[in-house]
Amino acid sequence: MQSAQLQRQLNELTGYYALPASSRRDPLRERFRSLAQQWRRETQWLSSTTDIAMHPAYQAIIGMGTEALPMILEDLRQNSGHWYWALKAISNEDPVVPRDRGSLKKMRIAWLQWGETKGLIRA
Amino acid sequence: MLPETFQALILAMRPQFPRLTAANSRPTSPFDESYNCIAWAANELDRWWWPDSQHQSYWPPEIPREVTLDAFIRAFSLQGYTEHSDAAIELGKQKIALYSIGDGKPTHAARQLADGWWTSKLGQQIDIEHDLTALDGPVYGSVARILARPAR
Repeated sequence: MQSAQLQRQLNELTGYYALPASSRRDPLRERFRSLAQQWRRETQWLSSTTDIAMHPAYQAIIGMGTEALPMILEDLRQNSGHWYWALKAISNEDPVVPRDRGSLKKMRIAWLQWGETKGLIRA
Repeated sequence: MLPETFQALILAMRPQFPRLTAANSRPTSPFDESYNCIAWAANELDRWWWPDSQHQSYWPPEIPREVTLDAFIRAFSLQGYTEHSDAAIELGKQKIALYSIGDGKPTHAARQLADGWWTSKLGQQIDIEHDLTALDGPVYGSVARILARPAR
């Protein structure tokens, strides 16, 4: 009984590592995706930057810390979105010049360039 | 946006906007997150306006970054708006409605059109035209102030 269980676990492990890295389940990435979806769905009608950033799912993503930065930047590149508060909160940096605050297109470019410079996302 | 698509969107929005129907509103733009309702009311299409404490949104630098009706009224006063008592359409007047919820927290702004309906940007979503009470509900609350200026 125990050996059958061990064999099944071994098979699962072998199968997991036989997959390309990009296809493996990544709990952190899955958690991020789930939280980001919830955040988008529940804040889409809001104008308040503060309420958008204070949403519990967004705060949970901030709570993931620096590990979340590559995922946020990738999501920003693919889907855009109000990620700037989180990026600033986690990194303690802000590459957006004051005159561009509120201009989401310019903010997106500034943060993606920042991420590339830091090696967090590919250029 | 196709009428059936808007109808489906209205159904999906029912919990947030229980009064919104295809009869009291119509869609006028696709999804666009470049601007929000405050920017749209101020006739700006390329900036997100909000007085957030982290300075992630645009807010007129001479106005306090406070989420209060007073700060919003002062922001629109820079464009010539003053408080007004009446939302009815008036020849020669341009009007804005400020919405608030709870103890006066601003949530939304709509701008009056020439036919008396109002135009709104719904958060990061679409623009719609609507009658004044169509957006009343748990997300935006209801109209708290009417502002007016001479039409330009």
